[in-house]
Amino acid sequence: MAFIQAVLDGLMIGGVYAVISIGLTLVFGVMGIVNFAQAEFLTLGMFVAYFAWKFLGLDPLIGSFLSFVVIFGLGVVVQMTLIQRVLNAPPVAQIFVTVGLLIVIENLTLIVFGSDFHSVTTSYQTSTLRLGPLFIGVPYLAAFLMALLSAAALWLFTNKTWYGRAMRATAQDPMAANLMGINADRMRQIAFGLGVGMTAFGGAVILPYFTVHPTVGHQFVVLMFTVVVLGGLGSVAGAVVGGFAVGVIQSVSTLFFPIQLQNLVLFIVFLTVLAVRPTGLIGAAR
Amino acid sequence: MKWWIAGAVVLVAAAIVPTFLDPTGYAIRVLTLALLFAALGQAWNIVGGLANQISLGHAAFFGLGAYTSTILLINFGLSPWIGMLAGAAIAAVAAYLLSFPTMKLRGHYFALATLAFSEVLRVIAGSWTSVTGGPVGLSVPFSPDSFWLLQFKSTMPYYYIMLGALVVISGVFLWVRHSSLGYRLRALKENPEAAEVVGVNTTQVKITAAVISAALTATLGTLYAQFTYFFDPEAVFGIIPISVRAAIIAILGGAGTVVGPIIGAFLIVPMEEMANVLLSSRGAGLSQLAFGVMLIAIILIEPRGILALITNGVSRLRRRKSS
Repeated sequence: MAFIQAVLDGLMIGGVYAVISIGLTLVFGVMGIVNFAQAEFLTLGMFVAYFAWKFLGLDPLIGSFLSFVVIFGLGVVVQMTLIQRVLNAPPVAQIFVTVGLLIVIENLTLIVFGSDFHSVTTSYQTSTLRLGPLFIGVPYLAAFLMALLSAAALWLFTNKTWYGRAMRATAQDPMAANLMGINADRMRQIAFGLGVGMTAFGGAVILPYFTVHPTVGHQFVVLMFTVVVLGGLGSVAGAVVGGFAVGVIQSVSTLFFPIQLQNLVLFIVFLTVLAVRPTGLIGAAR
Repeated sequence: MKWWIAGAVVLVAAAIVPTFLDPTGYAIRVLTLALLFAALGQAWNIVGGLANQISLGHAAFFGLGAYTSTILLINFGLSPWIGMLAGAAIAAVAAYLLSFPTMKLRGHYFALATLAFSEVLRVIAGSWTSVTGGPVGLSVPFSPDSFWLLQFKSTMPYYYIMLGALVVISGVFLWVRHSSLGYRLRALKENPEAAEVVGVNTTQVKITAAVISAALTATLGTLYAQFTYFFDPEAVFGIIPISVRAAIIAILGGAGTVVGPIIGAFLIVPMEEMANVLLSSRGAGLSQLAFGVMLIAIILIEPRGILALITNGVSRLRRRKSS
């Protein structure tokens, strides 16, 4: 029973992992760039939702939409000013522009917000649902449902709208997309905005059970990379499967190992997958 | 041969400079750190600069060096000089083993894999409390002014030790670059498929470079531990304090060149220290912020580093004069 409970817990958190990692894979899929600063946008999303709760009284689950919008806008600006300029640069330039961005965002948040830990209080924070012998924390369930909702919305956007299709066309062949009248630069801005916006959204919905501070992103860095590499860098569907897989691996491994080593199991999975199949276990290779 | 003369002049100057400084003062401490990080950038340069394998995990080897020698010193009273060799050997083995999962990876994938590897070690160092002291870290037992225990009251001896390390590692870098290994590394960098076709065993070349670089990095980890007397997992296995800094120092100065990491370190380390002194009263993070901004700026202006910026400028001036 403990095992089933662990799997259930893993699925709940895995849904959120999927959403915070989708952005990473989306950006890689469209422009072939790994954003090492992705987790810092999660931190920013959490801060937006935290301040929306503190000053506007918005529940983080509602505030998450505000997080998405604000960080989407920030993402568009970052794409226009920084990423765009290294699109055709060698990987070393691409890597260190986003690493530099990571350092900048982390320290800006430290300067602006201080190093204190912040958390929100909600009415449902300590509630639990009982399903026979199993338990689900209400904040976890709420975050999970919000995550599924946003993933579904993204799927509708990329598959059913003109912009979504144009974005995928840009991913496949920017030159041809340009010739068909698609503004590839605009599509990249949307993709980057969506990419970091989704991550910010995922950060906001976990706020009811997670404290926020400027270095909160650290805990998510390798986790996100594991999710996207498991699913195949560039594959959005893969990120969803990878997110659930990572959530379950993490949760189940605590049954067998001390909790500090939880992430160790993940890293080993990560390195093994990179070694065996760098294009990912699931999803299309790029 | 003018090149050698310039090198000798710089070296003599570097040897004389500390005699004008307060041997326990702040300035010599900053210079000593700059030398240490120049050497670290140079060790990274062997893999990152020559083979263009962008490692974001050199903290793994640095930390192995720091922990191995310090654990041997604390538990067995073993001299750090011996611990340094032990750390280098362990790091070499680690690099050898790591090369199997990362052999075929390039660019972003290689960076990700090396980053994950150093994170594995950071987590182990943070949780294996009985040996590593856990998140609290380790303190080197203080028994100063013993060359055998590599401990001195004054900063001066450390300065010369770091200078020696930089000279040795730069020598290894030059040797690798001009040996047949260096030519094979360059072939690998330019075009891996073509290198393979003309008979370069790219796998073996990569492993050799990685092992040399890792062993050298570990010796610097030992020196760092002896110099600071205290470290925790974040300080020696940290992505930004060690891995990213090593790479940035090499890239900022000019990756693949021998003077690149030296230029990079002598720009970055004093700048960071100065920013720390000037800005620390205005809150943590400002100096790191400046560091990040500078990194982005140099990548956007000239990704090949400051050296390229200077040589471009000089050749442009020359062209203008001759026309």
